[in-house]
Amino acid sequence: MSIQLNNISKRYSRDFGLENLSLTVEQGELFVLLGASGSGKSTILRLIAGLLEVDSGQILLNDRDVTRLPPQKRDTGFVFQNYSLFAHLTVAQNIEFGLKIRKTERQERQRRIDELLKMIGLQGYRDRLPHQLSGGQQQRVALARALAPNPSVLLLDEPFGALDVKIRAQLRQNLRQIQQEYHVTTILVTHDQEEAFELADRIGVIDHGELLEIGTPTELYRRPRQHFTATFLGTANLLPARRNGTQVYVNETTIPALPNTEHLSGQPVDVLFRPEAVELALSPDDLHGYVLGAGVIEQIAFAGVFERVSVRLKEHNLQALISYEQATAFDLQPGKLVFVGVKDYHLLPQAVT
Amino acid sequence: MREIKPHSLGAFLLLGIVLAYALILIIAPLIAIIQGALAKGLEPILDTLSDPNVRHALEITFYMAAGATLLNTVFGVIIAWVLERQQFHGRRFLNWLVDIPFVFSPVIGGYTLIVLFGREGLIDSPFPIVFALPGILLAKTFVSLPFVPREVAPVLRSLPISSEEAAYTLGANRWTTFRRIVLPGIWVGVVYGVVLTLARALGEFGAVAVVGGGVEGVTETATMFVHRALLDRNREGAYTIALLLGILAILLLLIMTWLQRRMNLYRERTAHVHTTE
Repeated sequence: MSIQLNNISKRYSRDFGLENLSLTVEQGELFVLLGASGSGKSTILRLIAGLLEVDSGQILLNDRDVTRLPPQKRDTGFVFQNYSLFAHLTVAQNIEFGLKIRKTERQERQRRIDELLKMIGLQGYRDRLPHQLSGGQQQRVALARALAPNPSVLLLDEPFGALDVKIRAQLRQNLRQIQQEYHVTTILVTHDQEEAFELADRIGVIDHGELLEIGTPTELYRRPRQHFTATFLGTANLLPARRNGTQVYVNETTIPALPNTEHLSGQPVDVLFRPEAVELALSPDDLHGYVLGAGVIEQIAFAGVFERVSVRLKEHNLQALISYEQATAFDLQPGKLVFVGVKDYHLLPQAVT
Repeated sequence: MREIKPHSLGAFLLLGIVLAYALILIIAPLIAIIQGALAKGLEPILDTLSDPNVRHALEITFYMAAGATLLNTVFGVIIAWVLERQQFHGRRFLNWLVDIPFVFSPVIGGYTLIVLFGREGLIDSPFPIVFALPGILLAKTFVSLPFVPREVAPVLRSLPISSEEAAYTLGANRWTTFRRIVLPGIWVGVVYGVVLTLARALGEFGAVAVVGGGVEGVTETATMFVHRALLDRNREGAYTIALLLGILAILLLLIMTWLQRRMNLYRERTAHVHTTE
C-alpha cells in the first residue's frame, strides 16, 4: 500500500473541510481525485505533500508514517497547475534542483537530467529559461523536475488545467507513458471527467470534502452507487421507479431487476441509463432492449459521430445518442412520435430531496 | 498608453508649466550649487576637502549611513517576508507601523530617541547614545526604515508561492528555498530599496541634528556641516559638500533608473512564465 490516508480531517474554513476521510492507493496505481472546484480535492493533495497539516488522522506513504513530517521529508513529487518553474533557472537547472538538494553526484545528476529530458521530449531545451517555453513545455519540465529525485509518490494538482485542449490530450498520453514506465504511485486531481476516464486506474469522486465513491472508470460510469457520481460522470437519464420482487416498475411498464440490487427492494429507486444505451424506433418491435414507452422528439443536435436527440417520455426529458445513419433512416424530426428502448441500465436509490 | 502630442495650445501650456516648475525647483538649485562651489575656483574646494573636521563629518556620514542601510536591509527583507508570507493577527497593524517613519517629522524622530536614551531617558544604556555615534546610527536607521520593506513586499507578493512549495517538496529547507528561489526573484527590489535607504540615510539632517547635537569633529555629519558652514558664511565650504552630496544622490538615482528597467524586464518574464501557453 503506497498511499494510505486513515481518517484524516482538516478544517480549512468555518463551514468547509474534510472529515474522517480514508483512502488507499496501491503501489504503481494512477488514482484520480475527481471533483468540482472547492470540493476539497486539492486540499487532500496538499495534506499528503505536507504543504498543509492534518487536524487529525494519519498519513502513511509506503508504510511510513509521515503525518507530522515537513514536506521536505515526505519524498513526494508535486506538480502545480501554474507550472511554478523556477523562473531564473534553466530547464536543466530546474530538473537538477531536487538532485542537488539530495547531494546526488554530479555525473549521476547529468545522467538523470538527460534521461528525463529525453522522456519529456525536450532534449534540445536544456539551457532555455522557462519564459522561453510554451505552457505545455513548461508543464513537462515541471513533471521532470518532480520525478528527478525518484519520489515515492507523484502528486499532480490540475496539471493540465491551464492548457488548451489539444496540448492537454498530448500531455495526458505523455504522462500515462511516463507514469507506467516509472511505476510511480500517482494521485492526480482534476475536475475534468474526460481526463479522469482517460488516465485513471481508479477514480475517487469527491464532493464537499466527502469522498463519495471509488471505482474504476467503467464501474463508476456504468454502475455508480450515488446520484452525484451518476450525474457528474457524463450525461445521465434518470427515471423514478420501484423495485419489487424480480421486477422494476418504471413508466407504467416493467423491466427485470438487476442482480445484486436486492437491498433496494421495495424502495423508490431511479433507473439510470446513459444516452448511448437509448434506442429509438418507429415500432416497438424494432427495439432490441427493453421498451420504456412512446415519446415525442423535442430536439436534434449534431454531435460529431452521433446525433444528440432529446426525447420527451411523459413528463421526463431523456437524452439519446443515435447514429447518423439511424437518424436519417427513421427520418427523425422534432415532433415525431417514437418508441423508446433501453439496452443497458442500472438502479440507484432515489435521491433524498 | 495614451499619448497626447503637444499640438494644441493647452498641451503646450501644460508642458511649459511642468518645465518651469522643474526649472525653478530642481534645475536652478543644482546650477546654484555648482556655481556656488566653483565661485572662487578650485582652491576653496580643496581646502574644504582637506579640513579634518570635514573629513570626519564625511566619514561618519558614510559609515553611519552604510550601517543604517545594512540594518534596514536585513530587517527590511525580514519584515517584508513576514508581511507577505505569514498569517498572524496584527498583520495590518505591522503594515501600518512600518510607514510611521515616513509620516513622522525627522525632528520628532530624533527627539523620541532623546526621550528614550537621553540623560533622563526611559532606558538606561551602558554606553552613550544621545550626542554620540550610536544615536546618529539610530536616527538614520529610523528615518530610512520603510524603504526596503515597501520595495520588497510587492515583488514578493508577485512571486507565486507554489515555486517555494515546489522547492519544499523537492527537499529544500526554508533557508535554502529563500536563498536559491526567493532571493533571485526579489533581488532587484532589494537593491532598489537599498539605494533609496542609502540616499535617505546619507541626506538626513533633522533627526541627526537633534540626536547628535552636531559637535564639530565628533557628531557633525555632512549635512550638518553644510548647515554650520552657511551660518559661518563659509559659502564655498557649504557648496562643496552640498555638491558632493548632490552628485552622490544623482548617482544613486541613475542606479535606480537602471534597476527599474531590470525590474520591468523581470516582471515581463515572470508574467510570461505563469500565464502563457
